[in-house]
Amino acid sequence: MDPEQLDEFVMGYLKKKGFNGAAKQLQEALHNNNNNNGTGSSSSFNSTDYHNDPELTKLIRSFSQSENDPTRYRNGYSNLRSWAYNSLDLYKHELLRVMYPVFIHCYMDLVGKGHTQEARAFFNSFRKDHEMIHLRDLQKLEGVLVPSHLEEMEFARSLRQSKVNIKICQYSYDLLLQYLHRTESTLMLGIINEHINFQVYSGQPNSSSDDIDAVTIVGSFQETADHVNQKEIQWGLLEDSLEDRLEKTGSLLTDSEKGQGESKDGDVDDSNKKRSTEIGKQGSSLKKLKKDKAGNATAKVARQETSTVSPAPRVKSELALPVMSTDVEESILEDLRNRVQLSSVAMPSVSFYTFVNTHNGLNCASISHDGSLVAGGFSDSSIKVWDMAKIGQAGSGTLQGESDTNDQVAGPNGRRNYTLLLGHSGPVYSATFSPPGDFLLSSSADTTIRLWSTQLNANLVCYKGHNYPVWDVQFSPFGHYFASCSHDRTARIWSMDRVQPLRIMAGHLSDVDCVQWHPNCNYIATGSSDKTVRLWDVQTGECVRIFIGHRSMVLSLAMSPDGRYMASGDEDGTIMMWDLSTARCITPLMGHNSCVWSLSYSGEGSLLASGSADCTVKLWDVTSSTKLTKAEEKNGNSNRLRSLRTFPTKSTPVHALRFSRRNLLFAAGALSKPTS
Amino acid sequence: MSIVPKETIEVTAQSIGITNLSPEAALMLAPDVEYRVREIMQEAIKSMRHSKRTTLTASDVDGALNLRSLEPTYGFASGGPFRFRKAVGHQDLFYTDDREVDFKDVIGAPLPKAPLDTELVCHWLAIEGVQPAIPENAPLEVIRAPADNKIYEQKDGPLIDVRPPVKHVLSRELQLYFQKIAEITMSKSSPALFKEALVSLASDSGLHPLVPYFTNFIADEVSRGLNDFQILFNLMHVVRSLLQNPHIHIEPYLHQLMPSVVTCLVSRKLGNRFADNHWELRDFTAKLVSLICKRFGNTYHTLQSRLSKTLGNALLDPKKALTQHYGAIQGLTALGHNVVRLLILSNLEPYLSLLEPELDCEKQKNQMKSYEAWRVYGALLRAAGLCIHDRLKVFPNLPSPSPSLLHKGKGKIISAETRKRKLSADSSQNQLPHKRLMTTTDGLRPQDHTGPAPMHVDKPMGKKGNESESRHQNEKERGKGRVITMKAILGQIWKDDLDSGRLLVKLHQLYDDRILPFIPSTEMSVFL
Repeated sequence: MDPEQLDEFVMGYLKKKGFNGAAKQLQEALHNNNNNNGTGSSSSFNSTDYHNDPELTKLIRSFSQSENDPTRYRNGYSNLRSWAYNSLDLYKHELLRVMYPVFIHCYMDLVGKGHTQEARAFFNSFRKDHEMIHLRDLQKLEGVLVPSHLEEMEFARSLRQSKVNIKICQYSYDLLLQYLHRTESTLMLGIINEHINFQVYSGQPNSSSDDIDAVTIVGSFQETADHVNQKEIQWGLLEDSLEDRLEKTGSLLTDSEKGQGESKDGDVDDSNKKRSTEIGKQGSSLKKLKKDKAGNATAKVARQETSTVSPAPRVKSELALPVMSTDVEESILEDLRNRVQLSSVAMPSVSFYTFVNTHNGLNCASISHDGSLVAGGFSDSSIKVWDMAKIGQAGSGTLQGESDTNDQVAGPNGRRNYTLLLGHSGPVYSATFSPPGDFLLSSSADTTIRLWSTQLNANLVCYKGHNYPVWDVQFSPFGHYFASCSHDRTARIWSMDRVQPLRIMAGHLSDVDCVQWHPNCNYIATGSSDKTVRLWDVQTGECVRIFIGHRSMVLSLAMSPDGRYMASGDEDGTIMMWDLSTARCITPLMGHNSCVWSLSYSGEGSLLASGSADCTVKLWDVTSSTKLTKAEEKNGNSNRLRSLRTFPTKSTPVHALRFSRRNLLFAAGALSKPTS
Repeated sequence: MSIVPKETIEVTAQSIGITNLSPEAALMLAPDVEYRVREIMQEAIKSMRHSKRTTLTASDVDGALNLRSLEPTYGFASGGPFRFRKAVGHQDLFYTDDREVDFKDVIGAPLPKAPLDTELVCHWLAIEGVQPAIPENAPLEVIRAPADNKIYEQKDGPLIDVRPPVKHVLSRELQLYFQKIAEITMSKSSPALFKEALVSLASDSGLHPLVPYFTNFIADEVSRGLNDFQILFNLMHVVRSLLQNPHIHIEPYLHQLMPSVVTCLVSRKLGNRFADNHWELRDFTAKLVSLICKRFGNTYHTLQSRLSKTLGNALLDPKKALTQHYGAIQGLTALGHNVVRLLILSNLEPYLSLLEPELDCEKQKNQMKSYEAWRVYGALLRAAGLCIHDRLKVFPNLPSPSPSLLHKGKGKIISAETRKRKLSADSSQNQLPHKRLMTTTDGLRPQDHTGPAPMHVDKPMGKKGNESESRHQNEKERGKGRVITMKAILGQIWKDDLDSGRLLVKLHQLYDDRILPFIPSTEMSVFL
């Protein structure tokens, strides 16, 4: 570089950085220098100063290349990458974790500076490294090609504005800094300084598996999450709940009716008998009875254990709950008394409702709490409700699971045997029955929620409030209240008697895709396309927990009956079990290979059922997880939850699941023609 | 750069009436178009997920456009796949192939069938954790080993009970078929029906799912029915039919089948009645063994060696009964001459010395024992004969037989037969009927060996072919002259064959004259 150029560059640099005074002085000095050139070399001090120092020249040269040279990003990144891949195995995974934020920020810098072509080439050449964990983010970012997109896209904006927290051990951190300084890769250093917030800790690096934080880039969001998760929640069950009352009556019986032999054991036996008759009614054989008794015995023991180990605390309801009629209460109590104890040795029976001839139009299915009513929401805006009890009478007992359904397909007298509910003007995305089964709520793409009476077969109320399609609606466990969630990124709490929402929960960064009530009615959980699950206080409308860990959109949620745990299923087929009080994932349940549409806990919370687009119903043992949480703290063993059974269906994706109060599992799905 | 080429932008612009779009503008627009398309697709995927589908449809895209307050696309809802055609002369330009439809055809066409109404069908997906085998449930192809459960069992101890994942995996038809076949096999009343059953087993396709059941059935019944000769025979027929069936892939079950077959070959006792012709069963089973070895010997290299080892052990154990020895010899013979040479001929001398006292009618008082001994001796002869025959047929240059000799031989058979009868009449009268029975059954056997045509029946010894043991019995009565010619022939053979069979040479040296009877027996048995 000849001195003239160098001078010019130094001038440009000073001006650009805003050192106007310095620039002026330099210019004057240069001017003087030029003027003095002819007279002599007396005062050319500042020029020689940096012209003759090779180190300084080199540095200046490196600056001169900078700014607008897109290849620097590529080179810098690929060097850093190969260095990280060649680093010591022990520290490698920590160093590799740095690569993803550097990668996306390099890309966004390139886009931001208008090097569209280079950005695309850079993205494509290194995309493979991150596809495994960050596929969905990459798919989003891939479309960003113009600086204005960066501004427009919320995801990109939040990435640009926030810093990523990375936990890294002291030695890895030192290694990284050493490398960056040694190679003088100022660009990479800049990106890392600007966008990564290192949390350096002393000691050995963590094993890579237990760090879920690395999965999602949430930046400062993580801090708010940590902050939010400090809040206290009352996850216990409602005091004076029916379960409580059942236990009390059970003990009452023990005391008062001993003479009649109605001891607690007798009670269990009784329920056993009832159950067998119930099962018998539904067409099952009785040959397993003996085994079940044994199973029940162990289950009982297990129940006693859990009840002694973890009595769920009782909390007061913050909502004014509807008064339950005594008939309903009686029937629920009866059901609870007759509940089959399920465990890993006592499996439930699964009754499957298959929708046929749906022509790909079934968007959602819902089963009432007793399994007698089944509703389907269709893309042609219609809702169809089947009363299985009536069909059972007419069609010689389909409930008995017999295969003579052909005559029933035609229907008695050629009439259709379902109730058609018309009212929506867009695809129906969700439907939910009130606990006694007398009302049905449906939500639709027409942004409304409609309340239907299953007795009158008529639309009662239309709730308008959301501005975009309402993805999900759920009745509270006690009825009257319901929660909805929408594309407008809010979840709302409603009561049946008001057409305006009672609360609006805002905070998710993307669509709220599913909603679920906590058993004590004081909280709702929402799952979103921003890959988080949040828990909201119904009374205050505040977010009280943020659960981070899913890698794709959350599609289904379920709360354990004791209110302590929550399960969430996502688009990739992963199910996560969360501890509500700590907001930590107990363990991911892997097994499904497609969307998990539906989750349901059994009545006593020992089993979790999941239904998926991969045409299977899976049963998971979740008692072991709850039992071992204390042991886990000691030895860190993580392999606790396990899949018990997989029931494949005949090419029927499972849309809905529900455990009845008696612990019979109902499932529903639409038969899809295998693609030929 | 953008995956949308600028040509597409230009074409689109033209199609909506903008003709003066500059290439720069198109280039600028292209990335934005890509971004918008991705945006729409992201919303469309959300719509698809909430419709609980895994395939994107045009209605999802419409829904996404709706969310952005854009006009939906029209004319794409019919569902049929679109055919894209390349525009002639343009490389990257495509258009959808719209067929021209004649109104007349549309109006004249019969009304399409009304779509079926939506229905709800209920069935049991599982009953207490077990999936019932009903048509509504997904078919379970194969019986899966409950591997998962076993792992859990080890881990958690008694907490888990292992239930078989499947109760029934067979269709009702197959179950009925299996029951029927089993019934027929076990009943001795209708041989005609059994024959039909065997034909069906040997030819029907689609029986493969039953193979494990059949192998089980055979193994069970063989171990249970050792006293019932007829059932054993029937079972072996079933085995043969299964082996013959070209649609059955029986290899994986061979290891289960072989013990039963070997049992029928070398068991001490097959059938409990005196009249049961267990010799016949053994011979039949020996043929089965050879069939199996021929078919699967290539895929299972250990099969033959294991078989011959088992049989060899049975043969060389002097404590085993003579019936077992007989079965072993027959089995080994069925495995081919190499096995015979290795396992039988090498042990022939000590074995014969053991057998000698049994053969002697005078010394051995037990008629049955003596008869069995002769049986074994006959089998040995046949084995050795087969072996030598194999050697002999290497030399085709030996003179071919003359028909006259053959006739002469036949005449001799008759005479020898009568003479033998006379001879045996005094010593073993009750032995005779068995022998006759045996000869009739044995009569079929040599025909199997007519395949390799013998070309050296120049020996003038007119020996009765099919009953070798009786021939040996009459050895002493046979003409001395014949022995001389035989000797000459043998000598020549050994001379020619010096390099090929050291074992045989040794045999010759050891036995010299005594081996002679083996030769004619083979020759004749083959010849007839």
